[in-house]
Amino acid sequence: MRVRLAEVPFIIVLLGAVGLLCWLPAGHALILRDHRTAQAFLYAGLALMVLAGMLAIATADPQAGNRARSQLAALAGAYLGLPVAMALPVALAVPDTSWTNAWFEMLSCFTTTGATVYEPGRLPPSVHLWRALSGWLGGFFALLAAYAILTPLNLGGAEVLSGRVPGHDAGGAGQAGRLSGISRRLNRHAAELLPVYAAVTLLLWVLLLIVGEDGLLALSHAMGTISASGITAGIGMSVTASGLPGEILIFAFLIFALSRRTWPRLPGMPRREALHEDPELRLAAAITLVVVAVLLLRHLALEIEVRQMESMPGLFRAFWGAAFTAVSFLSTTGYESAHWTSARDWSGLGAPGLMLLGLAMVGGGVATCAGGVKLLRVHALLLLGGRELDRIVHPSSVTGGGAERRRLSRSGAYMAWVFFMFFAIAIFVVTGALTLVGIDFTRAMVFAIAALTTTGPLATVAGPEPFSYAGLGVVAKVILGMAMIVGRLEILAVIALLAPAAWRR
Amino acid sequence: MKVIICGAGQVGWQIARHLSGEKNDVTIVDTNPELVRRATETLDVQGVVGFASHPDVLARAGARDADMIIAATHSDEVNMVCCQIAQAAFDITRKIARIRAQSYLETGYSDLYNSDRLAIDVIISPEREVAEAALQRLAAPATFDTEVFMGGRAQLLGIQLSEDCPVLNTPLRQLNELFSTLRAIVVGIRRDGRLFAPDPGDHLEAEDQIYVFTHVEDVNRALEIFGKQTKKQERVIVIGGGNVGLTVARALEARSDRVRVKIIEKDRATAEAAADALERTIVLNGDGMNIDLLSEAAVDRADALLAVTDDDKTNLLVSVRAKQAGCRMAIALVNDPTLAPLMAPLDIDAYINPRATTVSSILRHIRHGRVRHVYSVGDAEAEMIEAQVMTTSPIAGKHVRDIDFPEGVLVGAVMKGDRVMKPTGELRIEPGDVVALFAMTKDVHEVERLLQVSIDFF
Repeated sequence: MRVRLAEVPFIIVLLGAVGLLCWLPAGHALILRDHRTAQAFLYAGLALMVLAGMLAIATADPQAGNRARSQLAALAGAYLGLPVAMALPVALAVPDTSWTNAWFEMLSCFTTTGATVYEPGRLPPSVHLWRALSGWLGGFFALLAAYAILTPLNLGGAEVLSGRVPGHDAGGAGQAGRLSGISRRLNRHAAELLPVYAAVTLLLWVLLLIVGEDGLLALSHAMGTISASGITAGIGMSVTASGLPGEILIFAFLIFALSRRTWPRLPGMPRREALHEDPELRLAAAITLVVVAVLLLRHLALEIEVRQMESMPGLFRAFWGAAFTAVSFLSTTGYESAHWTSARDWSGLGAPGLMLLGLAMVGGGVATCAGGVKLLRVHALLLLGGRELDRIVHPSSVTGGGAERRRLSRSGAYMAWVFFMFFAIAIFVVTGALTLVGIDFTRAMVFAIAALTTTGPLATVAGPEPFSYAGLGVVAKVILGMAMIVGRLEILAVIALLAPAAWRR
Repeated sequence: MKVIICGAGQVGWQIARHLSGEKNDVTIVDTNPELVRRATETLDVQGVVGFASHPDVLARAGARDADMIIAATHSDEVNMVCCQIAQAAFDITRKIARIRAQSYLETGYSDLYNSDRLAIDVIISPEREVAEAALQRLAAPATFDTEVFMGGRAQLLGIQLSEDCPVLNTPLRQLNELFSTLRAIVVGIRRDGRLFAPDPGDHLEAEDQIYVFTHVEDVNRALEIFGKQTKKQERVIVIGGGNVGLTVARALEARSDRVRVKIIEKDRATAEAAADALERTIVLNGDGMNIDLLSEAAVDRADALLAVTDDDKTNLLVSVRAKQAGCRMAIALVNDPTLAPLMAPLDIDAYINPRATTVSSILRHIRHGRVRHVYSVGDAEAEMIEAQVMTTSPIAGKHVRDIDFPEGVLVGAVMKGDRVMKPTGELRIEPGDVVALFAMTKDVHEVERLLQVSIDFF
């Protein structure tokens, strides 16, 4: 019996892909002569592929369900199921670890959160590679989901642009989607995105190698940057051994998490002018400037007043540290500049980490690997705000700038507002749940925001002292894991999936 | 000259009236027999009923030996095809078309129009002409009528005199001596509804409307002498965001002196289109007659209000309402020329008649040759003609005082090289000079004889 790939449920295909990818760290471990780890990955990969093969034969169905809810369910299923499969080799390779920890680790990788429960030294290099690979795969999956599932369903930012009710595939793009079928759509977009995604990662890796980065570290940073997961194989969150050049490279490639225009064109989303006129990038630049200014200018003014100017390199380092860290957290990646400490010391503010919490909540661009509320929604809300100010002076004025901008400031802003409220409620719920299991309020809030914005490293830098995921209980980890999935899927998608109307047949 | 005019609407009719009055052989073409009948009965023209762009209709109208075709029907496309057929089938040398749609006029496509492509020599865009007229009115706030001559170096101003004008009841000759450095001359006076060219002994009275031809540098001084304050305009309200309003707002935005423009437009879609096309201008959506909306646009502090909707009555009423609310100046677009006498009692400072401006600019192009510019004053009561003096002209080489001008003709200015001079008796007019002449309609023909344009061209 021949089973066509297109007839197999997508989640099974992914399971097979995960199994296949397992052999990459296996090979890596073999070269490093770490036979125990290599064995774990080899067997785990084999088991997963056999499982996937059997499931494929069992579930292949040419008439596979095509309705909105089943697509979202497949998406949610991938986030629930795949990390379990990914945790299999980790649980085998790492001695003395619990299944919860392995699952949490891999879930945080796959959702591009990058929160880790392990001390970096405790994991063999091949497991670090596996983490980076999972994060990279997670980023690709997020991108693919945005292209092939969320946007046709008018979710994931498309609802802000279209101004229609999210979760319904009405309208042009949706109709085309229904005709072509979800499998074909996924295949088409995967074929379109994967070369770009892989090429960009490869380019960054090579460039990082050129500036003198260690191979594995460079690869995990390249993958962590492109997928906005912020996974690192090194010690701590400060990046490269190569110093400033490496940071500049990563900084440049973070643009991929800030605007969808850097990726191939999304069907149903309008083509726009040049990159520098993209509202998301402009907003990101403005936010970064404001943050850097707030962090440093006050202190700079003080310095100038008492005429105790530090040397210019020190000043530049502080500015760079602030700018890099700001963009990194805005894109919900979570790398920290080596000069962030000096920026933090310069600022003289009590808790500059709180600013990073705010940045992560704003988040990157829609239909990218980034999490958070997303720049486009913030842009829509800002437009609405400006519009309302105008209306105080001229109640009957009409805004210019084109029909798209007007829609963005009306129904788009409404959708963004709805999302924003849900996001706020989610933070409240997760924080509340965490305090119920005995975590104090500050830590609970930082953990909740880190999970919901998929910016794991927040926990180590945002609070007054670094908070560790390792000390959390099983229940807290499960709560945070669910929060990551909700944050990754975007709350509107979860609601569309769970809405009572969808239960009716 | 044999002229075919397509379209017997207001523009076609006015042009026909002008041209037939100048002893041209005019044929008017329209689909509406009623309009054609009216034209043939009241004017000395021939009429053909039919579709203006059909070759057989044009042939019947005598296109084979016509010198010029003026396509002024209500449809851009008919006008274009008309000119095209006139070129292709009848080889008529001069083709003038009225074109409204902005897209046809965009500068990016302006090389569309030459004899190889769309065979149109001159394009008249009423909206553009009206917007220009509106801008001129705005630029000279104290006048009710203005027009630029001599390549922007001279200006014709229409001024409404009031009681507080300091030079009332003084003979013009004496005024001339008093302000000898002022390069301005009163070329026409309208008293009790009658326009005439003044003698040096005439004097000005309150409630007179006078036409002053002045050097462009002396505009403000001239206005001051006739008791008008000039004030820079900072806040302008435009009622109506269609083509005219949009063009005016664009031009005002492009000006360097930061004019603050507000547009009030009733139709939401039009308002949005206007808002998209403009940057600093605030576009308000709603009825311009609504006092709440007018006060939202701060009409009480506005320097000028420009009512350019397509409805005459709205324009008039909004202007009146704005003036009453404290707006310093109101300009209304009025399509019906018979409404013009209402302006004074309604206290509307100026009006723009789109058809008159269109007719004016078409006439300018018709009288080509040595005549460089023609402006129709009032309800075609008089014309301001700018022309170059030829060697064969009877006025060439003569002193101004020796020229035998008809009674209703006055010299406004003489331009030698690019220097604009005030005409005095001793000034000698050389061949190649440009003269600006104010002529009552009955004397236009005589002026043309003096300028030798008739022999040169007709």
